[in-house]
Amino acid sequence: MSQFLRNPDVVLREEDEDGALLFNPDTNQVRVLNATAVFLWHLCDGSKGVGDMAAALKTQFEGVPEKEAEDHVKSFMDDMTANGFIGVAEEEKK
Amino acid sequence: MSAAHGSKRPSPSVTVMPSPRSVQISITGACNLKCRYCFYANEMAALPDLPTSEWLRFFEDLGRLGVMDVTLSGGEPFVRRDLFDLIDGLVTNRMRYAILSNGTLIDDTLLNRFETGKRRPRLNYIQVSIDGSRAEIHDRNRPGSFGRALHGLKRLKARGFPVQVRTTISRHNIDDLENIAHLLLEEIGLASFSTNEAAPLGTGCTNRAETALTPADQKKAMAIIDRLLARYPGRLQAQAGPQAKLKAYREMERARQTGEKTADWKMGYLSGCGCVFSRIDVLHDGTIVPCCMLPGLVLGNITRDSLGEIWLDHPTLQMLRERRNIAMSEVEGCRDCEWNEICNGSCPGLAHQLTGNVNRANPEDCYRNFINSVGGLDVLSD
Repeated sequence: MSQFLRNPDVVLREEDEDGALLFNPDTNQVRVLNATAVFLWHLCDGSKGVGDMAAALKTQFEGVPEKEAEDHVKSFMDDMTANGFIGVAEEEKK
Repeated sequence: MSAAHGSKRPSPSVTVMPSPRSVQISITGACNLKCRYCFYANEMAALPDLPTSEWLRFFEDLGRLGVMDVTLSGGEPFVRRDLFDLIDGLVTNRMRYAILSNGTLIDDTLLNRFETGKRRPRLNYIQVSIDGSRAEIHDRNRPGSFGRALHGLKRLKARGFPVQVRTTISRHNIDDLENIAHLLLEEIGLASFSTNEAAPLGTGCTNRAETALTPADQKKAMAIIDRLLARYPGRLQAQAGPQAKLKAYREMERARQTGEKTADWKMGYLSGCGCVFSRIDVLHDGTIVPCCMLPGLVLGNITRDSLGEIWLDHPTLQMLRERRNIAMSEVEGCRDCEWNEICNGSCPGLAHQLTGNVNRANPEDCYRNFINSVGGLDVLSD
């Protein structure tokens, strides 16, 4: 299972109460994050995969449907990893 | 959920991001040229440069604040022997950077030094100033430098560096603008270049009669730029100077005729500059100012003050941010102007320089004055 780790060169700017900017200085790419995405960003410490994050999301936010939560997290992580904001810490089978 | 929001101070009428996204740093007051309109010359250049260690400590602060981009200007940045140590400091602290240069010290030996580590990938651009299509014109503003500046520009282009060119329009080069465009866009093959105009700051103030554009010069420059824009669509840009004024004046005429206000700026309010909402500047002795065009409004010094606290709390910055809520109809000198419902007062730096009051309009960009002097935009094609 993939576990996600923040790219240490990426800058998180929390600019208002509804969200933030992620800035990758190596690629000059910027992503606007809403509050949910900021929450997921902070979870990318190298120890959590999509399932762990979806579970945390459901704990943190009310009314998050289980299936949609995993899809949402996976889609977000796909974009983040494809664009170098996040790396995959390791692969291991459970 | 966002801990950083706790540090954000409320303001009665404006909101501000918790730290600047970009910082412009005049990294040295020294320069190998003596240009005729240099805004940074005279008393500014006499201040001492901060040492490497102070800048590197400051860059750590900028990294903690989440600053994204730093522009290194001067003086001439490449005269600093420690420039690449400073660039490495920016890279280490997760920033990108740009350099504003006269181009004369750029050669292959210097460019090779960008190939170490992330110096080159983190470089947004190097801007070179070109003020003429040949030495006779360029050197009137920037004595003895055309050949070296052009060589530097060509080496940057040949080696694929991200390069920009700024042409400062003055009385010396209006008649050469078409040749400059040909040189830059066709012979050298740049995608675009930008223009501004010689401002009455520094030696630009001392030499104002020689360099600054009269209203008639402005109109002439606008007409030439208009032709160039037709010939090279989208390849000339400007944030100030005749091209920017032409665009603004046309928007004002259009708004008056149609009754529709542009979305490009807050018409009818003193809103000519938005820099104070996302950027702050630092002079080479560490003085923090709202903008290098406002060197007299000192906010602090990086050797003793917190840039983050100044950004959020300094009353002068708050005043500048709230300036955009002042109706032009309340601004001294503009109360009886028939254009005050659609004007924005333009650059606060030049307003401060020329009137002594930052909460006035910049008289250099006044459309009413322009009409009264030269009859408006009537002779320009539209």
